[in-house]
Amino acid sequence: MDPIPVFAPASPLAHALSALLVGVFAVLVGIFLLVTTLVIYMIVRYRDRPGAPEARQIFGWNALEVTWTLIPAGILAVFSVFMVAADRAADPLIPPGRKPDLEVIGHQWWWEINYVASGAVAANEIHIPIGKSILIELKSADVIHDFWAPELGRKIDAVPGHPNTLWIEADAPGTYLGTCAEFCGVEHAWMRFRVIAQNEADFDTWQRAQLAIPPAPSAPDALAGAKLFADKTCINCHSIAGTAGNQTVGPDLTHIASRTMLAGEAARNTPEELFRWLKQPDAIKPQSHMPDFKLTDDEAHQLVAYLEGLK
Amino acid sequence: MISIRERGKMGVGLFILSEANFFLLLIVAYVYYHAYPGQGPTAASALNTARTAAFSVALFASSATIFMASRAARRGDSGGLVRWLAITIALGTLFIFGQAKEYYDLIESGVGVSRNLFATTFFTLTGFHGLHVIIGLVALSITLALAMAGKLHPETRDGFGAVEWYWHFVDAVWVVVFSVVYLWSAAS
Amino acid sequence: MSQIVEAGVAPALVASEREGLLAWIASVDHKQIGILYMISAMFFFLIGGIEALVIRIQLLAPGLHIVSPETFDQMFTMHGTTMIFLFVMPMLTGFSTYMVPLMIGARDMAFPRLNAMSFWIQLFGGIILYFSFVAGGAPSAGWFAYTPLSEKAYSSLAGVDYWILGLACVGIGTLAGGINFVVTILCLRVEGLTIRRLPLFVWMTLVNSFLMIFALPLINAALAMLLIDRFFNAHVFDPAGGGSALLWQHYFWSFGHPEVYIMILPAFGIISEVIPVFSRKPIYGYEFVAASSVAIAFLSFTVWAHHMFAVGMSHVANLAFGVASMLIAVPTGIKIFNWTATMYGGRIRFTTAMKFAIAFLITFTIGGLSGISFAVFPLDWQLTDTYYLVAHFHYVLFGGSVFGIFAGFYYWFPKISGRMLSERLGTWHFWLTFIGFNLTFFIQHVLGLAGMPRRVFTYPDLPGWYAMNMISSIGAFMLGISVLLLLWIVFDGINHGEPAGDNPWDAWTLEWATTSPPPPDNFDRVPPVHGRRPLWDLAHPDRADEVMAKL
Repeated sequence: MDPIPVFAPASPLAHALSALLVGVFAVLVGIFLLVTTLVIYMIVRYRDRPGAPEARQIFGWNALEVTWTLIPAGILAVFSVFMVAADRAADPLIPPGRKPDLEVIGHQWWWEINYVASGAVAANEIHIPIGKSILIELKSADVIHDFWAPELGRKIDAVPGHPNTLWIEADAPGTYLGTCAEFCGVEHAWMRFRVIAQNEADFDTWQRAQLAIPPAPSAPDALAGAKLFADKTCINCHSIAGTAGNQTVGPDLTHIASRTMLAGEAARNTPEELFRWLKQPDAIKPQSHMPDFKLTDDEAHQLVAYLEGLK
Repeated sequence: MISIRERGKMGVGLFILSEANFFLLLIVAYVYYHAYPGQGPTAASALNTARTAAFSVALFASSATIFMASRAARRGDSGGLVRWLAITIALGTLFIFGQAKEYYDLIESGVGVSRNLFATTFFTLTGFHGLHVIIGLVALSITLALAMAGKLHPETRDGFGAVEWYWHFVDAVWVVVFSVVYLWSAAS
Repeated sequence: MSQIVEAGVAPALVASEREGLLAWIASVDHKQIGILYMISAMFFFLIGGIEALVIRIQLLAPGLHIVSPETFDQMFTMHGTTMIFLFVMPMLTGFSTYMVPLMIGARDMAFPRLNAMSFWIQLFGGIILYFSFVAGGAPSAGWFAYTPLSEKAYSSLAGVDYWILGLACVGIGTLAGGINFVVTILCLRVEGLTIRRLPLFVWMTLVNSFLMIFALPLINAALAMLLIDRFFNAHVFDPAGGGSALLWQHYFWSFGHPEVYIMILPAFGIISEVIPVFSRKPIYGYEFVAASSVAIAFLSFTVWAHHMFAVGMSHVANLAFGVASMLIAVPTGIKIFNWTATMYGGRIRFTTAMKFAIAFLITFTIGGLSGISFAVFPLDWQLTDTYYLVAHFHYVLFGGSVFGIFAGFYYWFPKISGRMLSERLGTWHFWLTFIGFNLTFFIQHVLGLAGMPRRVFTYPDLPGWYAMNMISSIGAFMLGISVLLLLWIVFDGINHGEPAGDNPWDAWTLEWATTSPPPPDNFDRVPPVHGRRPLWDLAHPDRADEVMAKL
């Protein structure tokens, strides 16, 4: 990942924004240097020296006032033209009848992702095929969130009762980080996500895998984990296809083992981290909605064995 | 240098400008949720325009009576001042009585503040207006007491001038609120 | 006309015979009330500063758990609310309360009792707000309390209720103050001091007061509706009950953007007094500095939705608010150029006040220019709600308003206390503040471009984030030290400062025509006013401004 994502656009949409950013910054820095140079010149040249005569009392000059009114106004007029062009390029109009490809729903504090055509479901990790304009319908299940993957396009709020749409696109395969950018409560920090852009074939493979119902566990501890998952009320919040769990309060876990990160990117998806997350959610993401079930080490290990089998 | 009397009036004038902005947002909220209604009662289904119109006439008339009071004060007619002030207060009180009755009936029929957005914005808007009328009545009562005690001297009379402006303003707000809520939204 | 003009007579009030604490509590004297404003604002500045330090400690390194996320959220909510409503606004109001009657040759404000009410009710608002800490938890929904996060369903504790009531009190006090300033400035000017001759600080206070009168009722209406939502289970701003989350944003920012100018216009006024005096020249383009403020005030009511470019407005709305917001850069630029031109050909004295004023020119320009990058709304889509935004508004509010406040403080302290502050310590304070400020906030521009959102209690260890946060936190501690030094400077000045005399800076406006500190009724006599610089005219009758203007 590039350290400054807004200057490392990976889509035509982000390109339009980054080009505008560079252009506007160049002008603004120029104006700043002009003002600073003038100020420094004044304070060096006109500092009080012993024995200097009294300053000439100057009250103003209208021609100069008009000049420094009109020139900035002209610069801003030019900005406006580029602004309209960038708006068109970064937020293209939606063709009539165009259905969204993805439905993304912000929850406190994770992202629900539904693939509209295929019915695939994901959480916090969005796989997209490269080179295609993806239309996202953005919603919120609770408070206002904001979807922002700076290398791929604009940010836009997920407002309850006010669905928004945005385009994202990726030119090349890769992982692009994103985050919730609107303060949404205590765990706003860990409401991160990532967009994984793949070539068409890889994406199709991924999507087929997501649509499959994972095989029932066979190892004894994984079997015990599956039973715990049902008994410990995990299913009151989480879904796993092929089980009784079908709720969307927490992320869908049908293919949790295929993900890189856990808990809105507060932890990596490794058996150790998952164990820690199950044992002591507050140590990883304090005050999140994931309850502490006071699991024994054995129980936690069994759940990990079950969940890490859900590829 | 501008006289103390004028300063008081200027202060109240500025306060009125400020209050107008306050009511503006309450009216915008009411109109917005009239345009995007939810379930439940609406202005058309819940409000009794004819009855409120009758009580509104009392408030509108009170603008005329306070004008008469101030004319009497300018002439130095303290009897007229007391009489017209008393009538103004009576008319204002009648209006508040009408509003109380309206609120009582609405709440009895299950239309409380939290029933739906029409109810919330209706009670917020008319409630804040009613609160202003009550504050005006308090100010008028103080003025009346001063007038009856013979303490409303020509020099301080413009304290009364400020009260008069405020009362006209409260009345004018009701012209807008009544038009928007009863004449427009209850009819559409 | 006689040489000596009667000072503007305030309503007859018996000068307080009381002494000690009661004399302050019962005071209706604008000077005492002005000082009370400044002391209470300074007190809240310290508290808000401590909150900022807690934020910066928690963000020193990625993944820290020094405070809980809940506490962190309370800290930034209270930091923002405190600095805006309990520090910058009352501090500037304090300057205006103290200085405006003096600068217009009046004995007091138009409504001295209302003046006292304004102060005490806004202090009461601050106390209510802070009472929330012991009443179940401070508000944690951010200083703009976006709904539905601030609704009962997501903020069930009483913090937001205290926030609403506290701000309503501050709002009412400020609004009354605005009315008082307008009437004072329009009605109590000494003879000869026409509107076109008003000192620019008074001009800015006048424009500012109109902003207060028109903007504060907007937030009070919104607060009333939010309170009704929370107390009566209504849903005006709650989508779960059919309400609109965005209506709150429109309401809040219709107040919130004028509020930004309420916090900067008086600082503009201070800069417009300090730069001419220490350049030994009149302000360049007086009419343009004054008129551009009026333009800013009008425009400020037309640009609120530039805070909402990311909520998903129509292309047309984005464009309209984008262009309107850019327009504000024009009158703001006019001011910057006029202040710079005022120094041209001058004999600049580098007092501490002047140093802060010059630093203001640089840092405020950075804040103003970065503001343009938000007005260009497609850029807002990348920059908003990141640390770039945090950097932007601190350059405006700290690099602008607070530097202005410091300039005004060093400029007027001798008048208020009768004693000079140490220029040597002042220079230390200036450099500590200037370097600490830029260290803290400049890097935050880059941090935002690197993708760090604001209001996160911690962050992943992405390239450069740790180092940049560390630099910012070090700067914040420098600022903390600079504030402690400032307290020492005040203490030192009050106890050991040289006597100031009436006019230590050889300044030209009427507040310098009386003793330091001024007597209870301000003036024995007010010098005649024939121009914008009465004391210059008095000292140079042959080259009075009026005479020179005709040549």
